[in-house]
Amino acid sequence: MGQNEPVPSLLLIEDDDAIRTALELSLTRQGHRVATAASGEDGLKLLREQRPDLIVLDVMLPGIDGFEVCRRIRRTDQLPIILLTARSDDIDVVVGLESGADDYVVKPVQGRVLDARIRAVLRRGERESNDAASFGSLVIDRAAMTVTKNGEDLQLTPTELRLLLELSRRPGQALSRQQLLRLVWEHDYLGDSRLVDACVQRLRAKVEDVPSSPTLIRTVRGVGYRLDAPQ
Amino acid sequence: MTTAHGGFRGWAADRTGHLTRLRFTSLRLRLVVVFGLVALTAAVSASGIAYWLNREAVLTRTQGAVLRDFQQEMQNRAGALPAHPEQDELQHTAGQMANSSQRFSVLLVATGTDGRTVYGNSGGLSGFSLDDVPQSLRTAVNKQQPLTGGNKSPYHLYWQRVVDHGTPYLVAGTRVIGGGPTGYLRKSLEPEAKDLNSLAWSLGIATGLALIGAALLAQAAATTVLKPVHRLGVAARRLGEGRLDTRLRVSGTDELADLSRTFNNAAEALEKRVADMAARDEASRRFVADMSHELRTPLTAITAVTEVLEEELEAETGSMDPMIEPAVRLVVSETRRLNDLVENLMEVTRFDAGTARLVLDDVDVADQITACIDARAWLDAVELDAARGIHARLDPRRLDVILANLIGNALKHGGSPVRVSVRAERVERAGAPGAETGDGDGGDGDGGEESVVIAVRDHGPGIPEDVLPHVFDRFYKASASRPRSEGSGLGLSIAQENAHIHGGAITAANCPEGGAVFTLRLPRDASDLAEQPAERAGAGRTTGQEDAR
Repeated sequence: MGQNEPVPSLLLIEDDDAIRTALELSLTRQGHRVATAASGEDGLKLLREQRPDLIVLDVMLPGIDGFEVCRRIRRTDQLPIILLTARSDDIDVVVGLESGADDYVVKPVQGRVLDARIRAVLRRGERESNDAASFGSLVIDRAAMTVTKNGEDLQLTPTELRLLLELSRRPGQALSRQQLLRLVWEHDYLGDSRLVDACVQRLRAKVEDVPSSPTLIRTVRGVGYRLDAPQ
Repeated sequence: MTTAHGGFRGWAADRTGHLTRLRFTSLRLRLVVVFGLVALTAAVSASGIAYWLNREAVLTRTQGAVLRDFQQEMQNRAGALPAHPEQDELQHTAGQMANSSQRFSVLLVATGTDGRTVYGNSGGLSGFSLDDVPQSLRTAVNKQQPLTGGNKSPYHLYWQRVVDHGTPYLVAGTRVIGGGPTGYLRKSLEPEAKDLNSLAWSLGIATGLALIGAALLAQAAATTVLKPVHRLGVAARRLGEGRLDTRLRVSGTDELADLSRTFNNAAEALEKRVADMAARDEASRRFVADMSHELRTPLTAITAVTEVLEEELEAETGSMDPMIEPAVRLVVSETRRLNDLVENLMEVTRFDAGTARLVLDDVDVADQITACIDARAWLDAVELDAARGIHARLDPRRLDVILANLIGNALKHGGSPVRVSVRAERVERAGAPGAETGDGDGGDGDGGEESVVIAVRDHGPGIPEDVLPHVFDRFYKASASRPRSEGSGLGLSIAQENAHIHGGAITAANCPEGGAVFTLRLPRDASDLAEQPAERAGAGRTTGQEDAR
C-alpha cells in the first residue's frame, strides 16, 4: 500500500472499554482510521453509516454475539471481517469461519500482528493483471476483479476472490493448504489450515453447481485443492 | 476330573481367575474330592457288606439243601448196596441218586468183590470222576474219626467249593458207615454265581451313581459358595479398573450376603470420596481456566498499549526520561512474559479439560523443523540432520510448540551445538514404545505402525539422574538455585501433552557420550486420534469440515 493511497477505514466492534481504547490507540498509530462500537447492534448501525473497508469483530459481545453479527453482515456485504476471539478454543474458530469471517486473531493480540493481518486482508482486493480466464460456465475477470457464473455476477468476499484467483492461476495444479495460506492469507508457516477449508467451503457454495459434489474446486487427498475445468 | 470345566460359565476374560480354578488346591476341586471320598467310602462299605451277607445266605441255603439231599440219598440208596457191589449196580445207584430234586452229579466208589476199586457215576464215562475231587477232600472223607462222646460216627460228610474252568462247584463226599461205598457229589453253583454277579454289578452301578451324585452335589455346593465369591471378585476387579458405580446384588442373610453388603458400602464410600475429589479437582481446574481467561482481557489491552510504548522506545531514543525508560522496558518485557505464561496456562487447562483438539495437515517434517528453527533465528546454533520427504499427517502448530520447546530447552540448558535428527521408523504394534499411549489402531494392514522419530540432542552436562523422571512435570525446576526467569515451567509439560494428543510421546535420556537427548515419537498419521475429541465437541460441526477435505 503506497503512501498516497487513502487511509483504510476500520470498524472495531469490541465491548470491553480497555481493549477497545487500547486497540484503537494501537491501530491508529499504525495508520488506520478507526471507528469503534461497543455492541453488535451499534456496529451494524455504524457499518451502514460509514461503509468501512474492514471490520475487526470481537466474538464475545453482549446482545447479539460476534458470529451473529458476522452472519448478518454477510447477508448483504462482502467486506472483509477479522474475528477477535478471546479463546483459541477450536469450536469458536470453526463457528467463526463458518459464519463467514476471513481471518481470526486470538487475544491477547499484538497490535503489529493485527495490523499485518488487516493489511493482508485488504491487499486481497487489489487487482494485479488484466486478463480473464474461464472454467466452464465460470468466468474470472482479473481486470474488473469480478467473477460471473452463467453471465451472473457472483458476490465474493476479497478472500474468496483471492483464493479463486490463486487457484485459477495454476489450473490443474494442486496447491497445499500451507501454500494457499501463504498466498492468500499471507500467514507464516503455522497458519491455521481450517481457514482454507472454510473458505473453500464458502467458495464452493457460490461457484459450484452442486456444492456437495464439486467439479471445479477439487479436493486432492493428502495435498490440498485444485481448480479444474469441468469435463 | 470331569468337574473342572462344566460348572464355569462366562467371564472368560479373567485369565488369572481361570488359572486359580484349575489349580489343584481350588476350593471347587477340594469340595468335589471330599464329597467323592465320602460317597465312595459309604457306598463301598454298604455294598460290600450287603454283597457278603447275600453271598453267604444264598450259598448256605443252596449248600444246605444239596447236602441234606445227598445225605438222604446216601443213606437210602448207597446204604442199601451190598458191601462189595458190582460196577453196574454202582452205576445204576449213582444214576438214581443224581435224579433227585437237586441236580447234582454223583460218584460212588466201592471195593468190588475181587478187591478192585469199583466206580459208579451218574452221567456216563465223561461224567463225574475221582479226578474232579480234590485230594484233600478225599483224604478227609476216608479218614476214620475216633469215636468219642461228642462224635458218634466214624465218618463225616465233608464239602469244599472248587472252581473248575471258571465255573464254581460244590464238591462233597462221605462214606456210608459200616463199610458201604464212598459217595461224592458235584453240584454246579453257576446259577448262584450268576445271581451274585448281577448283584455285584448292581451294587457297583449304585456306587458309581452315588459317586456321580456326590460330584454333582459338590458342584452345586461349590457353585453356591463360589458364585458369590466369583461375583465379588469380578466386582472388585471392576472397581479396581475405576468403575466405581459397581455394586453387588445382596440376597439372603448369610455370610456371603454380609460380605457383599460390606463390599457395596466400601464401593459407595469410595465413589463418594472420588466424586468429592473429582469435584474439588474440577473446581480448581475451572478456577485456573476462568482465571487465565479473565487475565486475557486486561492483558489484551495492556499488550496493545505496550506496543505503543515499545515503538516509542525504538523510534525516539533519548526523548524519554532516562528514569522512565528502564521502567518502560521492564513493563514491555514483563508483559510479554505474562502473555506467554497466560498462553501456556490456557493451553494446560485445555489439555486438562480434554478440549484440546488436533488440526491436522499433511506436512513435510523436515520443512516444519527448518521453518521452526528459522522463525526463531536458531539456524546458526542448530545442526539439522533431516532429509526432506518424510511426510506426516499431524497438527503443524502443535509440532511447532513441541519443537520450539525441545530445541529452546536444549539451547538454554545444554548449549550449542544442538543436533536435531529425523527418521521414519516402523514399529511393530506389540511392545512398541508408543503403543501405550496410542490406541494401537494405526489402520495399517500389516500390523505395524509407522512413526516419525525426532531426536534433539545437546552437548551440555546432561540431566542429573534424580531430575530425569521429573523433567516433564509442571513447574519443576531442575535446581532450586536456578533463576525463575528461565521459562514458565510449563514448556516441557506442554510439549509432552502435545505429543500425547497425537498418540506419541517424548522421552528424555542422557547420551553415553554426554549431553541430553529428547526423543519425540509421533505416529505418521494421527487421523484416528483427531476424530475422537471432535465427537465430544459436537458432531454436527465437524461434518461440514470433513466435506471440505
